[in-house]
Amino acid sequence: MTLFSAVFGRMGQAVVLLFVMSLIGFVGIHAVGNPVFNIVNVETATVEDIQRATIALGLDQPIWRQYLVFAEDLLSGNFGISYVYHLPAFSLVMEKLPATLELAVVAMLLAATLGVLIGLVAGRQPGTRLDRTILRASVFALSIPSFWLSMMLILGGAILAGRFPSGGRGATARLFGSDWSVLTVDGLRHLVLPALALAIPNIALIARLTRAGTIEVEGLDFIRFCRAKGLSPHRILLRHTLPNISVPIVTIIGLQFGGMLAFAVVVETIFAWPGIGKLLIDSIQLLDRPVVMATLTFVSVAFVTLNALVDLFQAVLDPRVRLPRKG
Amino acid sequence: MIAQTLRTWWKWWKWWPFRHNELPKLFLCAYVLLALAAPLLAPQNPYDPTQIFAWEASSAPGTPSGGGYVYWLGTDGLGRDIASTILYGLRISLMVSVISSAIAAAIGLAAGVSAAFFGRWVDIVIMRLVDLQLSLPTMLVALIAIVTLGPSIDRIILALVIVQWAAYARMVRGVALGERGKPYVDAARLLRLPTHRILFRHVLPNSVPPVVTLIPIEIGHAIALEATLSFLGLGVPVDKPSLGSAVANGFQYLLTGQYWISLFPGLALFGLIASINFVGEDLRRRLDPRREPQ
Amino acid sequence: MTDAAFFAPLLEVRNLSLQYRSPGGPIPILHDISLYLKQGEVVGIIGESGAGKSTLGNAILGLLPPAFEQSDGTICISGMDLDRIDSRQGEALRRRRISAVFQDHTTSLDPLMSVGAQIAETIRAAEPTLCSEDVYRRVVALLKQVEIDDAERRFRDRPHQFSGGQRQRIVIAMALAGSPDLIVADEPTSALDATVQKQILALLRHLVEETGISILLVTHDMGVIAEIADRVVVMRHGHIAEQNAVSVVLDQPQNDYTRRLLAAVPKIRLTGDSVDTSVADTISVPALAIGGHGITKTFPLGRSVLPLMNSRRKAALQDISFDLLPGAITGVVGESGSGKSTLGRIFAGLEQADAGTIRIGEEIVDASRSSRKTGLLGRVQMIFQDPSVSLNPRMTIEKALRESVRYGARATGNGSGSLGAMMDRVGLSRSLLARYPHQLSGGQKQRVAIARALLARPQIIVADEPTSALDVSVQAEILDLLKEIVAEQNVTVLFISHDLAVVQALCRFVYVLKAGQIADSGSSDFIFTRSQSPYTRSLIDARPRRFTH
Repeated sequence: MTLFSAVFGRMGQAVVLLFVMSLIGFVGIHAVGNPVFNIVNVETATVEDIQRATIALGLDQPIWRQYLVFAEDLLSGNFGISYVYHLPAFSLVMEKLPATLELAVVAMLLAATLGVLIGLVAGRQPGTRLDRTILRASVFALSIPSFWLSMMLILGGAILAGRFPSGGRGATARLFGSDWSVLTVDGLRHLVLPALALAIPNIALIARLTRAGTIEVEGLDFIRFCRAKGLSPHRILLRHTLPNISVPIVTIIGLQFGGMLAFAVVVETIFAWPGIGKLLIDSIQLLDRPVVMATLTFVSVAFVTLNALVDLFQAVLDPRVRLPRKG
Repeated sequence: MIAQTLRTWWKWWKWWPFRHNELPKLFLCAYVLLALAAPLLAPQNPYDPTQIFAWEASSAPGTPSGGGYVYWLGTDGLGRDIASTILYGLRISLMVSVISSAIAAAIGLAAGVSAAFFGRWVDIVIMRLVDLQLSLPTMLVALIAIVTLGPSIDRIILALVIVQWAAYARMVRGVALGERGKPYVDAARLLRLPTHRILFRHVLPNSVPPVVTLIPIEIGHAIALEATLSFLGLGVPVDKPSLGSAVANGFQYLLTGQYWISLFPGLALFGLIASINFVGEDLRRRLDPRREPQ
Repeated sequence: MTDAAFFAPLLEVRNLSLQYRSPGGPIPILHDISLYLKQGEVVGIIGESGAGKSTLGNAILGLLPPAFEQSDGTICISGMDLDRIDSRQGEALRRRRISAVFQDHTTSLDPLMSVGAQIAETIRAAEPTLCSEDVYRRVVALLKQVEIDDAERRFRDRPHQFSGGQRQRIVIAMALAGSPDLIVADEPTSALDATVQKQILALLRHLVEETGISILLVTHDMGVIAEIADRVVVMRHGHIAEQNAVSVVLDQPQNDYTRRLLAAVPKIRLTGDSVDTSVADTISVPALAIGGHGITKTFPLGRSVLPLMNSRRKAALQDISFDLLPGAITGVVGESGSGKSTLGRIFAGLEQADAGTIRIGEEIVDASRSSRKTGLLGRVQMIFQDPSVSLNPRMTIEKALRESVRYGARATGNGSGSLGAMMDRVGLSRSLLARYPHQLSGGQKQRVAIARALLARPQIIVADEPTSALDVSVQAEILDLLKEIVAEQNVTVLFISHDLAVVQALCRFVYVLKAGQIADSGSSDFIFTRSQSPYTRSLIDARPRRFTH
């Protein structure tokens, strides 16, 4: 299969997936209740009021037309006006995006470097005391509920040690028309705890994967061959082992990055980090439906796109990779 | 035939517990016993307002109670005994996760085996659904489900089932397809065995062990997810706290130094998930195909 | 260099004993192994599975996992004891003087690196001072030396772009790249087809003569030894059974085990002294009542985005017609990818053909329809290649056999009486009935598989490479059993194999399959003595000469 048809196929799959998701979303919204009652007062509305509202919302149109309107709104990012902030929902999401993005990027950089390093250390010497300790620690790290981890980080880092602030973004600096915390010292201090909270489970996950990959690859003949022909362990690690385990690692990093956008919900809420996760939870609690829809749609689309990119990256990285047959 | 199948399964069930790596298993057993015996052990019923003394709210651990017992782990902002809250919360957390995992495993098993065995459009439809679900983070799916369904215990279980079934279905299908391609199934087909016999006597007994390893992992996920949702206020109702909502209750008190309200329920939750994960890890290592029993 | 070093053999292993440290105490693997190897010599180490031959090879290469422990003895290179000198020096010496070729060409090359870069890397590891221009020239020269065509152009290709034989050549080039004195080759040709194996062995022999390199060849195949080795070390259960020049071992084996091993190797007869006149030479007998006609099968080639766009298909079988001799064994022989297994599976009803019919007696069945509906499924039983996966691991032998009795096509016997009798017939103790498959040896499992096929009382049995996963001595026993059973029970057998000698030993009529088409057919006698088909000749020529008469 050529790279071109791989790209084409994978993109097609992503588009189909998004289409199905939009259908489910459309049905879901209609199942929840008549949206007319969002704009008219149920107690005082007359039949004419409801009639007018129905026409205004386009609910008198046939169902496929309604879906087209819905899809068009999705595509143009038109989710309506926030009931609470009285701003277009989508631009509200975009405004909160940089905060989430910088948090996730910093956390993922941390997780990827530490995770790969720890995984390599363990995988080079399977069965040793160090390896067993790392493995055990990783199970613990994966077992900590993220909200409790966040709170314990606040307890340890902010309340007991008093070194880091317990919430908020701190000072920000403007770049490319957005505010970024990474650019200021105060912002960085605010970033440490939430980034750790997001990174710790991912360090464990990446370390386990790296360890397993290393053990598998190092057992293969060509690595034994490299040893037999006298290559330095350093060179074997960098030129042979690492490239061969990179495919699953890149995959998990991509997937987890998408997952972080979703899981940031918890961490952002606890650390009062004004990103899209906090926006989502606040909006759910305030019943701000347009913002909820806009946020969920955005995260889903981002995740699906990221997934597709990871698959394509695999195809580039490893010429043998055929895209896995789905179904 | 069902008795036969059960006996085959019993054969490998009987050798799993209590060999090495005892500690997590002991912990897990203790957790289950504590949860079952909560009403007997807990000095206070945290769901019963008449047993709660509001003036003893936020007592530090070790404070004697007006009810004649000691708040070994302190009380929360409403005056509920933390130790009792943990015991009762454990019940809800375990119940919700075990029930949802059982339903999800049953649905997943049925869907996966059907997909593998009937193939064609059945396979396509089921696997597209699985893809759809697995291509989104669990947290997102749970949030979407809760937002559309609304929070309550049965809705939470439903959301957890929606989140989990696909993982089972995909694994069962993969394993069953792999087994179906093996020569021993070919040999069975050559004997013209009835399809159900091939399925229940040959494919299923060999597909179940790998799937079993998924159960503890998924239960662990379910507990964590339920706790997270409850923490966010989207889970079980506040008057019947699970471990997650118990931790959430303490959040606002954390900054004023009343650490115990969040610390102890969280610790209990952490210990529960960790012991399940360790047992799961052990189970998976034991059933690793690379160490077939000799 | 001292005189002692000068006269010392290139490699000398003295009284080597190895054990494996298991949780239940040390398990001895090698006992008191002594052998030597001189410059320019090819020494073969032969043994069946579990003989410890690969462990010995890895010990010499210094590639044993840490759980292995050298309890006694020494390994010397040119008189220098590798354990006596500083371990880092010993390591360096080993790396410089010894290199390796492994069996599995699919995993011995880094899939992500071009073959040129991999060879260049080896040269640089041996001679770090060489400039890149020289390294490149050396790589191309090496690729030419192992007869890779178009070396300059293929330099940048990755391993998956080469065929199996070519990959093994590249592995050999890589082994030569550091200019070692000794190559330890662990089953270098076992994963290859006979014709390719022949070429690789010729290449190795040629390299020995041209460059004076020595080879320590670890193998289970007496044919490979006969083809290339100067001396042979026969190993069994971690001991050396016999060690001698190849001509002595092959012609006057001193040791009982060696004698048995040699007797078990199937041999090809090329003389027509035992002419079987009962079978016609070339034509298929029209009166025969069992066979297939016009069987065609294609597989989709790759996948496309949409299911309907999948028009490119690869032909696995093209219009195959064949007949089986009733009550005898008919052979289908071919190399990997010839479609022989697919043919067997279609005949048994496990796969659907695209077109064609199957005839059993009076009945003619459409092979392109579901075999369950046409009633073909169940008429034919099969014996599969790998007995470790052809028995349900979670069923006792008794249950597996009972199922066969109960659901078999013409169930007659019942009760454990017939099971016990069948166990006796296939040469197994009745006490094994209560066991699970993993508690049996490979040969025992294959006997159970034969019993299972027979208990269903089929008219026809398809045996798909039933012995190629077994040791030679076990193979001989299983083949004998098959032969006896066919004679006794009046079943018709379609025997699929890549091994000409085995086919000749068993079959009265033979079809030669090449790339999905019948290249040659005829009585066994005709095929092996008089056939003019160049493909059949090339298959026969690929056999080691020592085992053809």
